[in-house]
Amino acid sequence: MDPQSTPSTQRRQFLYIILGGAAAAFAGLAAWPVWRYLLPGRKADLEAKIPVARREVPLGRAFFFNFRGQPAVVLQPAPGQFVALSAVCTHLGCVVQWFPDKTEFLCPCHGGRFNAEGQVLGGPPPKPLTLLPLTIEGDQILVG
Amino acid sequence: MNLKKRLLDFVDVRLGVRDLLAQNLTKYLLPRNINAWYTLGAVLLTLFMIQVATGILLLIYYVPNPDEAFQSVERIMNEIPFGWLIRNLHAIGANVIVIALLLHMLSVLFMASYKRPRELTWLSGFLIFNLALGLCLTGYLLPWSQLSFWATTVATDAAGAIPVLGDEIVRFLRGGSMVNEATLGRFFALHVMGMPLLLGGLVGFHLFCVRRAGISRPPFGPTYQPREIPDHFEHEEHPGGIPFFPNYVIKDLAVICFFLAFLLAIVFFAPTLLSPESAFVPADPFVTPPHIKPEWYFLWAYQTLKIFPSELIGLGVQGAFMTFLALLPFIDRGPERRPAMRPIFVTSFFLTLFVFVAISIWGHFS
Repeated sequence: MDPQSTPSTQRRQFLYIILGGAAAAFAGLAAWPVWRYLLPGRKADLEAKIPVARREVPLGRAFFFNFRGQPAVVLQPAPGQFVALSAVCTHLGCVVQWFPDKTEFLCPCHGGRFNAEGQVLGGPPPKPLTLLPLTIEGDQILVG
Repeated sequence: MNLKKRLLDFVDVRLGVRDLLAQNLTKYLLPRNINAWYTLGAVLLTLFMIQVATGILLLIYYVPNPDEAFQSVERIMNEIPFGWLIRNLHAIGANVIVIALLLHMLSVLFMASYKRPRELTWLSGFLIFNLALGLCLTGYLLPWSQLSFWATTVATDAAGAIPVLGDEIVRFLRGGSMVNEATLGRFFALHVMGMPLLLGGLVGFHLFCVRRAGISRPPFGPTYQPREIPDHFEHEEHPGGIPFFPNYVIKDLAVICFFLAFLLAIVFFAPTLLSPESAFVPADPFVTPPHIKPEWYFLWAYQTLKIFPSELIGLGVQGAFMTFLALLPFIDRGPERRPAMRPIFVTSFFLTLFVFVAISIWGHFS
């Protein structure tokens, strides 16, 4: 084809597309490792049960611990009866505190209140605290 | 297309960007006989940007504490996805920067581009070179390996040869009598904040000097004549030259790609090329590994200290040489830049280069 027959603007457009495509491909190639590098790592023990010693949870008291990277709490509201809950308030993600004299959880951020089973008693939380499954083996409470 | 034009119009009305771009890109003319050596500035700028980006990424997982530094680097290399790539780009990139800096300085020396009116450009470039070596030295300690620990011990110990103040200087550099937690703290602070800030400022000043004085014409070809330097400021123009964009930008990009290919080739195919066995063992302050050597670019200094009967003379020779190099534009003041017309300089240039390479090889095998 006679090169003179192709308008220069069309050739320029073609070059822009080729160069832009190459630049985009290179940027994608460089961005992928950075994205993977920055992604939070997945813990291998996501299915693992977290043990809590029974003696850490006396009657009427709460024990806070790290459950697969998130704050959680075990409490003993009645003798021999244990409850495990996520300690993250369902309103805006603050961590609730246990008030044994009132036997309720209070979120210090916006005053959300929950009972010992995690049910909402008052304040802005839209739903109960997440209940975590637990089993008791000897003197260990296994959460998860 | 219409949106692009409207956006450009919006910014142009407010900031006059079209004129700015034209002045610095399409209407910025370079000498017609400009060569590939002039691309090394753009190469260095790219490599420095890679160092900054990879350095910030490494900071996410690196822990600057003697108890955890080595493990954190091991984690980056073995557990974090692409951590090996980020870290190798950073560590090997530092070596490529030194190569590019040396080539840049050697080409400027050979073409005598340091001469008036570019003394400040040379001086700022010389400081950038030294600061880059300082960044290499401070970064070398951070993995807290046997190599890091003992290479830093040897490097900081050299300052002890300075009379009267030597021991105090060593204590000040290390933050104690030995390399310890305090050394890691101060080297880390210098490496990630102090030196990069200073380097950024110097690079900015260097680029300002280059742009303000104008690109020097390569001293080659039958039409070249030494330029008359006036007493007042005058930007060196190149009427009839080639535009910086797109002509020279394409050449810049080609050489940048060459250097990136070189860097990636080492990262992918020979990542341990510059890492002896002691780089993979955590630092042990009670066990010195045999044959501790500095990085290749410090070998000449290391061997110079060993050649002379006293370390003080060795340090003095190094200091005198570096001072001479820094002040060269103020010593070599003649207007002649053509290598063929400067036989004494060119002979000294190649002899010095030969001596440096020979001493470095000697240092490597000694």
